[in-house]
Amino acid sequence: MTGLAGQERSPIKARRTPLRERLARHAPFALSLAAGLALWEIAGRLTSAAFMAPLSETLLRFWQLARSGELLRLTLSSASLFATGLGLAIVVGMPLGLLLARVRLLREALDVYIMILYATPMVALIPFILSLFGFGFGPKVLVVFLFAVFPILYNTIEGARSIKPELIEVARSYRSGEWALWREVMVPYTLPYTMTGIRQAIGRALVGMIAAEFWLSATGLGGLIMNATQNFDTGAVFAAVLVMVAAALILMRLGMTLEGRFARWRG
Amino acid sequence: MAVTALATPARPRLFAGPLVPRLVAGLAVAAAWEEAVKLFMPDYVATPIGILAAFPHVIVSAPFLAALAQTMAAVAEGVLIAVVLGTVLGLVIGRSLLAERALLYYVNAFYAMPILVMLPLFSLWFGYTSAARLATIVFSAIFSIILNVADGARSMPKDYLETARSFRSGRFRELFEVVLPAAMPYFLAGLRLASGRALIGAVVAEFFTAIGGLGYFILFNSRTFHHNEAFVAVLFLAGFGVGADALVTWGTRRCLPWYRRDEKAE
Repeated sequence: MTGLAGQERSPIKARRTPLRERLARHAPFALSLAAGLALWEIAGRLTSAAFMAPLSETLLRFWQLARSGELLRLTLSSASLFATGLGLAIVVGMPLGLLLARVRLLREALDVYIMILYATPMVALIPFILSLFGFGFGPKVLVVFLFAVFPILYNTIEGARSIKPELIEVARSYRSGEWALWREVMVPYTLPYTMTGIRQAIGRALVGMIAAEFWLSATGLGGLIMNATQNFDTGAVFAAVLVMVAAALILMRLGMTLEGRFARWRG
Repeated sequence: MAVTALATPARPRLFAGPLVPRLVAGLAVAAAWEEAVKLFMPDYVATPIGILAAFPHVIVSAPFLAALAQTMAAVAEGVLIAVVLGTVLGLVIGRSLLAERALLYYVNAFYAMPILVMLPLFSLWFGYTSAARLATIVFSAIFSIILNVADGARSMPKDYLETARSFRSGRFRELFEVVLPAAMPYFLAGLRLASGRALIGAVVAEFFTAIGGLGYFILFNSRTFHHNEAFVAVLFLAGFGVGADALVTWGTRRCLPWYRRDEKAE
């Protein structure tokens, strides 16, 4: 272990040239990335091709799949499932959450059930959905929706719980109507919380999408992983996993940016 | 990057509040469910009454108990491995700038990655065995522990270390006797996340590899049109999530009474 994080920097280090500073910042990551990639390549070459595809093989398969247009087609298929499910979850979760926020009786009646559903591993419901609704696009959207909707609901309600009663009382004393109350107090106040819910929902919807593609019918990138696994085409499995991880990282970053932008509103 | 440190508001207490509206709403939802199934669905579909009727004989049946024991044992074993490895890695990443710069990217990437995509690879590497399930559980649980412990170790007050230093404490003891206790609340928050993720990991691994456990119990019963029986297992899974949460909250209150977990957890 060299030095301690953050607080232990001496003034001498702070006066270092920017180049050296930058090197110290990025070199460990670059080196560990290179080491990781090298390890991947070596491990792949030492074991059998079906067991673990080396980096070079993975990149080759990625290039083949990308050039044939196959990868784009599968990614778009996955993306449409993801976007439909998540979009529905937002369209349903947000207004419902706000309604529960406003109508106290409804909220008190339902919040326990929403919390329990929020804590339930949705993946356990997939066998039921499969046997009840089959494996078309609709049931798959339902899976993504179920994964995504509860974080949005839960967080919106939690935001609404924390509205200070004074705010509503002040609005009321100025004879604010119901519509103005929603527009000026409820929505602005709970939106940051909803955004936290949407950030969580993005991650969950992605899991739901893969689960639907694994267990309902093999389409999209999840389907590619399943089919390639069965054919021992490990290079394609790794290529698809890489695309998914990249997509997951980009989407998560997007969600965090979105959340951060609205977090400033929080009182 | 503070995935874990984003402020989440205080969790409301589960059963605080009026009981009557809750009971009424629960009964109304159950009745609607019962009627909808009777009207539109085939009769093997789970209904509240069917589940209640199945509950007593399912929870004492040998297949269910065996499945429950298998899954719980695997989750316990996997979480234990994840806790030991994850705490050590988290402490190192949290206290060493070099380790943080070299490794944190990997940890964040693996944490963001959906566990599901690893299933085909684990089944290739470990076969369709309980080892694949264990690997999935460890993989599901470890990264939230690493991230939270690293967060806790990083944000520890400097005074603690300075005091330890003035008493000439060694590096190793410093890490395990000063940094680790200081990071405890963060660790517990990580453990809460990890136990939920571990259970999901176990269930999806059982779906994928068809090895015995609660996940397979659900899969098998739903495929053989015993939806009521399968749903009893779903109830147990949901209960596990709520139960693990309550257990960690209770543990925090009991063992770290000075810490108000509402401020930092998750």
